[in-house]
Amino acid sequence: MDILIPALVLGAIGFVLGLLINIVSKYFHVEEDHRIEKIEEMLPKYNCGACGYAGCHDMAIGLLNKKSIVSQCKPIKEEAKVALMAHLDQLFKAEKEESNN
Amino acid sequence: MSISALISLAFTALIIENVILTQFLGICPFLGVSKKRSSAVGMGMAVVAVILLAGIITWTLYHYVLSPLKMEYMQTIVFILVIAALVQMVELIVKKISPALYKALGIYLPLITTNCAVLGVALLNIRKDFGFAEMLVYSLFIPLGFLLVITIFSMLREKIEMAPVPKAFKGTPIALVVAAILAMIFSRFGGLI
Repeated sequence: MDILIPALVLGAIGFVLGLLINIVSKYFHVEEDHRIEKIEEMLPKYNCGACGYAGCHDMAIGLLNKKSIVSQCKPIKEEAKVALMAHLDQLFKAEKEESNN
Repeated sequence: MSISALISLAFTALIIENVILTQFLGICPFLGVSKKRSSAVGMGMAVVAVILLAGIITWTLYHYVLSPLKMEYMQTIVFILVIAALVQMVELIVKKISPALYKALGIYLPLITTNCAVLGVALLNIRKDFGFAEMLVYSLFIPLGFLLVITIFSMLREKIEMAPVPKAFKGTPIALVVAAILAMIFSRFGGLI
């Protein structure tokens, strides 16, 4: 039974801290470009840095600004890669049409 | 604890036992974010906030939760948990308040989690058996020493950028030489108290 108390205490501390982070992130939320969020969601989110960026978030910004290409991402799965490329194509096409109008 | 003892402790923490130059903790941000004075000061401020908060929270947790439950052996895990959560919060707050600083600090901001100075101060507070006032003074003046040294160092590095340094020494090597000389100077303060 003695082993349970430390586990519970540690769990409780973790729970309280997690709750606090959640509150802070709500309170200090920064409105960002939704397109970046969407692209970041389609990346593996390992933050491995193999693409040359500091993390998946920076890579997503690079992709959106056409400063990087999807194949820079090494750990991405084949299906996810195809989906992401299609998504980017769609994004850029929509952008082009908007600028033409 | 008398006031003069606290002042002496503050002076010790600030200069004589300086985190970077005599205890050699927190070297990573010291070398990584000291190229520009503005980002160095920003980093120093972030470290002051994190260490002070982490010191207070970990000390309170240790004395009112871990110690009564006889789970002092869990201190390292609990302290790391607290520090990681604090850094996460500081990152969110910096992102909101100062996007420029957030960009300048880049990957070094989440790396405060692994800044050994933070865990070091939290553990030293316990090992040195500090009371609340001593803990408060120690966890305020240790990071202030960090801020002091990283500011001096970044000003030196800004000057060195312009100096005619041999090609092989450009960048980090000359920075390490400068850091070594600074450490030698700081080690001389040891005779003051």
